[in-house]
Amino acid sequence: MSKRQLAMVMDLNKCLGCHTCTVACKRLWTRDEAMEYMWWNTVNTMPGKGTPRDWEEMGGGFKDGKPQLGHLPSREEFGDAWKYNHEEVFSGGKAGAHLEIQGKKPEWGPNWDEDQGAGEYPNSYFFYLPRICNHCSSPACVAACPRKAIEKREDGIVVINEDRCRGYRFCMEACPYKKIYFNPDKGVSQKCIFCFPRVEQGVSNACARQCPGRIRFVGYLDDENSAVHKLVKKWKVAVRLHPEYGTKPNVYYVPPTSPMKFDADGHLDEKNPRIPEDYLKFLFGEEGLEAKRIIDKEMATVRNGGKSEILSVLIAYKWSEMFGGFDTDPATIEWTEV
Amino acid sequence: MRANYVANADDKKILDPYAALWNSAQAETIAMEGTPAAMQPTAAIRASWSDKPIGAVNKVSVKAIHNGKSMAFRLEWDAPRQNDSHGDNTVFPDGAAISFPLKPGASAMGMGTPDLPIGVWKWQADAAEEGKQIYAEGMGTSEVVDRGALKVKSEWKDGRWTVVILRDLQVIQDNAAVQFLTDQDAQFALAVWDGGSNERGGIKAFSGQQWLNLTLAARA
Repeated sequence: MSKRQLAMVMDLNKCLGCHTCTVACKRLWTRDEAMEYMWWNTVNTMPGKGTPRDWEEMGGGFKDGKPQLGHLPSREEFGDAWKYNHEEVFSGGKAGAHLEIQGKKPEWGPNWDEDQGAGEYPNSYFFYLPRICNHCSSPACVAACPRKAIEKREDGIVVINEDRCRGYRFCMEACPYKKIYFNPDKGVSQKCIFCFPRVEQGVSNACARQCPGRIRFVGYLDDENSAVHKLVKKWKVAVRLHPEYGTKPNVYYVPPTSPMKFDADGHLDEKNPRIPEDYLKFLFGEEGLEAKRIIDKEMATVRNGGKSEILSVLIAYKWSEMFGGFDTDPATIEWTEV
Repeated sequence: MRANYVANADDKKILDPYAALWNSAQAETIAMEGTPAAMQPTAAIRASWSDKPIGAVNKVSVKAIHNGKSMAFRLEWDAPRQNDSHGDNTVFPDGAAISFPLKPGASAMGMGTPDLPIGVWKWQADAAEEGKQIYAEGMGTSEVVDRGALKVKSEWKDGRWTVVILRDLQVIQDNAAVQFLTDQDAQFALAVWDGGSNERGGIKAFSGQQWLNLTLAARA
């Protein structure tokens, strides 16, 4: 059991779907060979099938407190890494050569259903859902591993010990969020490490620090001065994704509010939001609906000329206040490449 | 079973699975069984495999010889599918292992204990010519103690794997590896993984609760 718990809050009302987080992570952690298809951070459009395709139907986690193994996602389901004719385009010397996917035409990708969403015009809707490893308090991956190769650190970060891992992939079956990948070259499973080498130096995660939308808050859950503590514990406006999976994630989401629907006559239907409450409940449970009610109320207060501390924190006027003290400038640190 | 002494055969010759010298070696067919789901080390694995068949390979033909310097085993079994890679990440490479008690009284089941450890020679089809020598003190504790000491040749042909694993009779490896003496008895057990059936780790076919006996013939 970890002594403390680092956590992240993502405000889904602010996510632009720009994938800067994904690229920040990619450049830092998954540039090696055999990691091409890995996206420890993903941003998918919801409602959607996401990555791996239909991950919400793949099982795992805990059922009635008992650990379950679910489906083992394939590279194809993750979207794989498409191969391109880079050589021909960049150094082939052939006029008119342009980037083309090589080999079998892909039928899925890591962000295949981007901006597709759901609903019928004019009431169609979507929002973006960024995901990383949830660094759960009851990690199904830890429970499933027969080699005790996955550890929950004292700061709550869940890491795979690659010296102990034998690549059996029970963790990939067990994780209900399907955020673990297999590296066939190294024969080990790999996943988001919550940027622990940065965090240990007081620098927040790359995905959070580089987010142009300022949607990500980082900090210790028990640090009463941190934004994550206030949003999760004090105000309860940030909630867990699929809490029914039973793993107690430590990535929390501020659920998306949405505009009103248009009724049959083209008038605004004030009673019905564009994103169906049933869908929010499916994603975030009852707590999600309650969180949205609080946000809606705060927004109404501000609209009527009042003030809202909750909205001020979510707006994040000062980026440094988002990171619970993990606001050291990475340029001031001498990093060692291993 | 008996490991005959083969004179004038170097390691290279012995490693050839189809070398004539193997024809005269006594073959024993070992019945294999699936490891019990109830003995798997985590509740998630136990629950998931309790209603699935474990142990796709039900028999292995084994031969053993030595040349006074090296000890060699030749394993052969039916494998309609050749799984020599991780494929699309959803299959596992086929594998085989020979385990040995490192102290008298060690059990042939459960990968040893801290007091009664076992040694293992392991082959996996994705590294077809590399064997790993492993030391284990219980389930989930196996550590590779040496990658270089084993020599391996494997071939999949006509729906059958044939694997020859060879090592010096004696090695300097503290107490972490089995040592063989000619004209003496040894004990071993077998395990085989059918990667196409998602067998890996403790999900495998094994030769049962009892060690198999092996007598090393004296040098002629």
